[in-house]
Amino acid sequence: MKTEYVVPFVEAAISVLKDMCMITDIKRGQLNAKNDAVVTRGVAPLIGVTGQISGRVVYDMDTRTALKLASIMNGETFSEWNEFVESTIEEFANIVTGQALTGLNNKGIKVDLTPPVLFTGQNMKIANTKMMTLIVPLELSIGRIEINVSLQENK
Amino acid sequence: MEVIPKVKKPDGGPYKFLVVDDSQFMRKQIERIIIQIGCEVSCEAENGKDAIEKYKANKPDVVTMDITMPEMNGVEALRQIMAIDKNAIVIMMTAVGHDTIVKQSILLGAKHFIVKPFKPTEAARTIVSVLKKLGGQDA
Repeated sequence: MKTEYVVPFVEAAISVLKDMCMITDIKRGQLNAKNDAVVTRGVAPLIGVTGQISGRVVYDMDTRTALKLASIMNGETFSEWNEFVESTIEEFANIVTGQALTGLNNKGIKVDLTPPVLFTGQNMKIANTKMMTLIVPLELSIGRIEINVSLQENK
Repeated sequence: MEVIPKVKKPDGGPYKFLVVDDSQFMRKQIERIIIQIGCEVSCEAENGKDAIEKYKANKPDVVTMDITMPEMNGVEALRQIMAIDKNAIVIMMTAVGHDTIVKQSILLGAKHFIVKPFKPTEAARTIVSVLKKLGGQDA
């Protein structure tokens, strides 16, 4: 997998966090590559990518971060997990991925996204046995979001 | 504080909207905007197939349409709604905003295309502007 594939998703996440959530203090951590399963942090919205490049993107975070993110996005405080928080986190993933893929499409790379799926739970593993996973952590005032990208070019 | 414009139908009544999005969060955001501009939400749908059924049953004045949805996407739903009613007012509101899909939607009959994330006041102004071009009046 090309390391450049992770860039649009990181840039889109930073842009959405700044513009939609007014979160400006964002520290981008070091890129990490994994060939084996990734253990998620508790809340993992996943979006499939199809087309000239395919695979999946996960925006991995813990429950506390997800609740804070949902609270900011809605302008009200959520202290407990519920269906509406789930919907908000799914939509965050959808918007970030949509923005990333819009950029790729406008460069001539035809790609599309699937509706989001949200995985929640402790010590879940996401495994891509045939593709490498690239992970970029973003440290925010509300917690950490790991952008977890596993994509391949289709010839 | 930003003033949000309001709009009403040429006959003076409120525009009734069908809000189509698979995200409960996004439907709520869009509904807030619709109410702020002086309009009403008559029904909601979670996917394109449901959108067509709700359109036929409720005959809303305006539709806001997401694109990426399960069962049937928004572009196909747009196509089918325009086949039912060539004067339908459909405004796409979606995270996928590349040139190809914008052109495809406009060619199919969508009146405008709003890309997420959007600032609520800007989206409100855009929707009001679209409706006023189609005969809506200041409310």
